[in-house]
Amino acid sequence: MRRMHRPTLAIDAMGGDFAPDEIVRGAGRLSLETDLDVVLVGDEPRLSSLLARSRHNPERLAVHHAAQSIGMGEDPRQVLSLRPDASITVAARLLAQGRADALITAGNTGACVLACASELRLLPGVRRAALAAVFPTERRRGAKEDPFSLILDVGASLDAEGPDLVSFAVMGAAYARAISRNVAPRVALLSTGAEPGKGPPAVVEAHRVLRDMPGMDFIGNIEGLDIPRGAADVVVTSGFVGNVALKMLEGVSETVLGLARYAYKERLMWRVGLTMLSGGIRQLKRITDWEQYGGAPILGFDKVVIKAHGRSREQAIVNAGKVAAKTVAAGVIDAIASRAAPPARLAEG
Amino acid sequence: MNQASRVYRWDLDKTYLRTDFDSLRGLLRAALEKATAKVNVAGSAALLRELQAAEGARVCIVSGSPRQMRRTLEEKLRLDGIEFDELVLKPNVQNLIRGRFRAVRDQVGYKLPALLDGRMRVPAFARETLFGDDAEADAFVYSLYADLIAGKVPVSTLAEILEHCGLYDDDQARILDLAVRVPRGAPAVGRIFIHLDAYTPPARFAPYGVRVVPIYNYFQAAVLLFADGHFGPASVVRIAAELSQGYGYSLLSLANSFQDLVRRGLAGAQDISALRLAFEAPDAMIEALKPAGGVIETFLQRISMVAGTKGPKAAEAAIDYLGIVRAEGPPRKWRSGGRRRKAASGPF
Repeated sequence: MRRMHRPTLAIDAMGGDFAPDEIVRGAGRLSLETDLDVVLVGDEPRLSSLLARSRHNPERLAVHHAAQSIGMGEDPRQVLSLRPDASITVAARLLAQGRADALITAGNTGACVLACASELRLLPGVRRAALAAVFPTERRRGAKEDPFSLILDVGASLDAEGPDLVSFAVMGAAYARAISRNVAPRVALLSTGAEPGKGPPAVVEAHRVLRDMPGMDFIGNIEGLDIPRGAADVVVTSGFVGNVALKMLEGVSETVLGLARYAYKERLMWRVGLTMLSGGIRQLKRITDWEQYGGAPILGFDKVVIKAHGRSREQAIVNAGKVAAKTVAAGVIDAIASRAAPPARLAEG
Repeated sequence: MNQASRVYRWDLDKTYLRTDFDSLRGLLRAALEKATAKVNVAGSAALLRELQAAEGARVCIVSGSPRQMRRTLEEKLRLDGIEFDELVLKPNVQNLIRGRFRAVRDQVGYKLPALLDGRMRVPAFARETLFGDDAEADAFVYSLYADLIAGKVPVSTLAEILEHCGLYDDDQARILDLAVRVPRGAPAVGRIFIHLDAYTPPARFAPYGVRVVPIYNYFQAAVLLFADGHFGPASVVRIAAELSQGYGYSLLSLANSFQDLVRRGLAGAQDISALRLAFEAPDAMIEALKPAGGVIETFLQRISMVAGTKGPKAAEAAIDYLGIVRAEGPPRKWRSGGRRRKAASGPF
């Protein structure tokens, strides 16, 4: 059942390359521009000082003190247990206690996954959580004509076994149904060839299970070049491969824009041409700009967790908040739970 | 001279009434709409009713609205149950007719003499609380007024400040005359509440010291006025009830507002203890506030979330009015700091 009250977002204010300043600004904008309640989790005196200098609406924004934090470069397995009051752990605890409906962090991904694993529960039938990112493609899909495909896992964990890939497929499909309003999302495994026997053993095993899974529009294996073409609505892979693929897509997008910037400065004629194309370029930039996506859901837990990019600034945090609210309102967790349990068990069996 | 011991001076637009001055359409609507159509800033009427109920209270309103709106504004205040003692309005039509265009937007040349003039009609012992907003220069004008009647700003310095404010000569002369004649004594102005209508960051008001208290809503003002002894806890409850029933405030938004005061070192756990008595009293109005119960628990939870209550802020240096006008320009050109300019950008 959907929640009727205003969603409350717990935001890890200390996580991210530009934390806490940009996180606080983003949270301030969420408090002003949306009807969401925000709880900023982090070093309260520091956050209070930043809030005093930022536009925000305190009626919709509270601070929850967390004395410790985990840096982006730290090994979460080493430091998490030593810092029980780390902002990401405290935020996950608020989520577990029902004092927030969703968690947003731009901090250390490993720390986020481990903190959530210790404070939250995995949904029945799910063995590993998966970080699901969206990326732009040529195709439009679903009732919303969504140009984005979903790729998971992109870094919640490094390896994935066959049953994990199956549960990722189920979770990704449920997410696409709820968020993109895509009734029958096409699901594919990322591999080195279209043939069922291509790829590592985990992919081959997952292929065998997904092929026969009822209610799953499984289109088989796809290759890396099929990702931007939009051959699949949900691309399933292990965290290591997914992260490399996603970062490469981001890198290509940034490089293309970098080249265009160079051309813009280099010759007057090129500048004139690019200026005439500026509307289209802005549109392209908007679609390919990761800041616009807001963040990637970590699927598999019994609560909504959104991982924003480590380089997130104000705008990305605002969009992450909107994604979180949408995920809560769409009842994604219930949708995944209702679909994940039987197939994943089937996969394990 | 009346025997008022407490004077509450209020601005109207964006402080008591929700007014849109930022567009011509809004300006016209404010000028033409009937009293029944005017909308209060949430909780402003409830707060003013509680303040005026105390013995020896005097309510003085100094507004930048034109004098032609007197009847409508009086009617509006009457509808709200407000019994004011003074209502000073701005002669803006005369300003326009006489070609005094700078005076149309100016607040210093209009409000400061109105405040000084009003001060001469109350006893020297009367304590004052002032209410303004972040749209224009209320914090500047109110602070300058408070320091003038406390004898902290010499007339010679005032003359220099006014020079930088770009006033007309006759306005300057009138202010200086009043400043010489106004009784000076112990600090008479307690708090200056600035309603953050445009959500201007509170730190922008730091140059005015701790006397200026930026507030996001009148529940925050009510808690602080209760702590200062202006009224009892039941008044806070009535104001909270009006915010809840009339303006859709939730218990959480009130608790968050309270936490904001705690974070800024303006309130503490002791204020919660005092409020407990009121919120736990059996009263129909209080019941309306707590459909789910646990009002105090919600407040306590919000307090427990912060690192610890802050101590009172240390006494500060005198306000550098000249420095402010030199840095910011004439106050008539100030606008609330909330809006941002659209960033210029190329195709990338």
